Amino acid sequence: MQRVTKPGHTLRGLAMCLAFGICVSGGTARGADAVLDIWAAASLREPVSQLARRFETQAQGRKVNLVFGASSALARQIQAGAPADVFLSADDVTMDRLQANGFVRPETRRVFASNQLVVVAARELTVPLAVPNDLLRPEVKRIALAAPEVPVGRYARQWLTSRGLAEGVKARAVVLDDARATLASVDSGNAEAGIVYVTDARVAKTARIAFAVPDAEQPYIVYVGAVMVGGDQPELADDFLRLLVSQDGLAALHAAGFRPPPAQAASSPDAP
Amino acid sequence: MSGGEAIAMATLTLRVGVVAIALAFLPALGLGLWLARREFRGKALVEAVIALPMLLPPVAVGLGLLLLFGRRGPFFPLLHALGVELPFTWWAAALAAALVGFPFLARACEQAFADVEPRFEQLARSLGYTRASTFFRVTLPLARRGVLYGTVLAFTRGLGEFGATAVVAGIQPGRTETLALGIWSRIQLGDDSGALALCAASFALALAATTLAEGWLRRAPRAGVKARS
Repeated sequence: MQRVTKPGHTLRGLAMCLAFGICVSGGTARGADAVLDIWAAASLREPVSQLARRFETQAQGRKVNLVFGASSALARQIQAGAPADVFLSADDVTMDRLQANGFVRPETRRVFASNQLVVVAARELTVPLAVPNDLLRPEVKRIALAAPEVPVGRYARQWLTSRGLAEGVKARAVVLDDARATLASVDSGNAEAGIVYVTDARVAKTARIAFAVPDAEQPYIVYVGAVMVGGDQPELADDFLRLLVSQDGLAALHAAGFRPPPAQAASSPDAP
Repeated sequence: MSGGEAIAMATLTLRVGVVAIALAFLPALGLGLWLARREFRGKALVEAVIALPMLLPPVAVGLGLLLLFGRRGPFFPLLHALGVELPFTWWAAALAAALVGFPFLARACEQAFADVEPRFEQLARSLGYTRASTFFRVTLPLARRGVLYGTVLAFTRGLGEFGATAVVAGIQPGRTETLALGIWSRIQLGDDSGALALCAASFALALAATTLAEGWLRRAPRAGVKARS
């Protein structure tokens, strides 16, 4: 029986695992750190990352955590308790919904940019894609669109519907999670064409802009930012929104291809 | 993607996996022993319920966790009073990993305990061992192999957890973005080489865990009880 009475290995192993677990679990709990959580539409990745880095260097010990995704998905997570301090949405519909549910500090809400839709084509696509009806060519087998609840997906469908192309495109639509995933599927050649923002097309690796949606047909695209009720850094959050609408912020957005907010941006408290 | 980001992701993944096992181990061990030793009506139902997190789509498990522990969930006020913020923290990722790994661990424990000859336990008791020392000095050492195997299975399953984690912890770089979530967001961005690098890191972690466990098993004798020769 001697060999049996050896509690050593298993117990020691368990103890080691637990000790290790406790060791590694320190450090990252959400404590009283001055971390600003910015949740932003996927299309804002470059300018907001750049501004966040600048914001961090403006004061000692400041840290910004960035989460990018479809505005609709981010808003859902915020409603479920996600720790966002600032939310930057690619439309006002999503922000309105959050506000109606009491997650937004309405006085902080600002419209800060606009954008435009373009049709992008994969490198592999050999036939010309120059006018909207070309989307229905047989060579264009798959058209990448963001999901209908995602702002860019909704804008794209609005435009397609206004051109009477919604049905034809629907049959060959590949539905993606956000603006960047839509671009990526054209970039990788897995979809022949896609509808994204002009700012996304700028960071494309292989996809090219086939044509821009004409100005007169552009949907009303606005980017809205606000401080969230559930966040724990309301002052920092407000400071960041101020940076976003400052000359520096507008310059960074402009450099990334965003347009200034439309004049009828009445939902901004600072609007003239 | 920088190397620092990848290392931070791998560390987070490891932490999530280890904490998940720490959460799941004792309940799974106890439940495994209970199921191995007791026959009762409705046992099949209990076993089916335990297997659920393994059988359901992981996103469904995530939704369940979010509904239970989220802002409007029944457990939120309790946790909030204790100062614990669960949804969208890495603890949520660990809980998700623990839950989806639990069936693997509990079933492996059950099997391992069922394979232990009750005679040895009876013998130990007859020699004056208490129930507890019989368990720790006879049953557990004999079941060691299966328990460890289940632990490795549950651990590696936890390392790769995606669906439940994405729902209940969100994909927050530097906070909840584990390797599996990182691979997904790289794919979303069309950054295939970044995604592949993270795949390699996942592979290395899983390989290290299994190799470690195999070495451990080899060091110890295969069976605790051997006929005297």
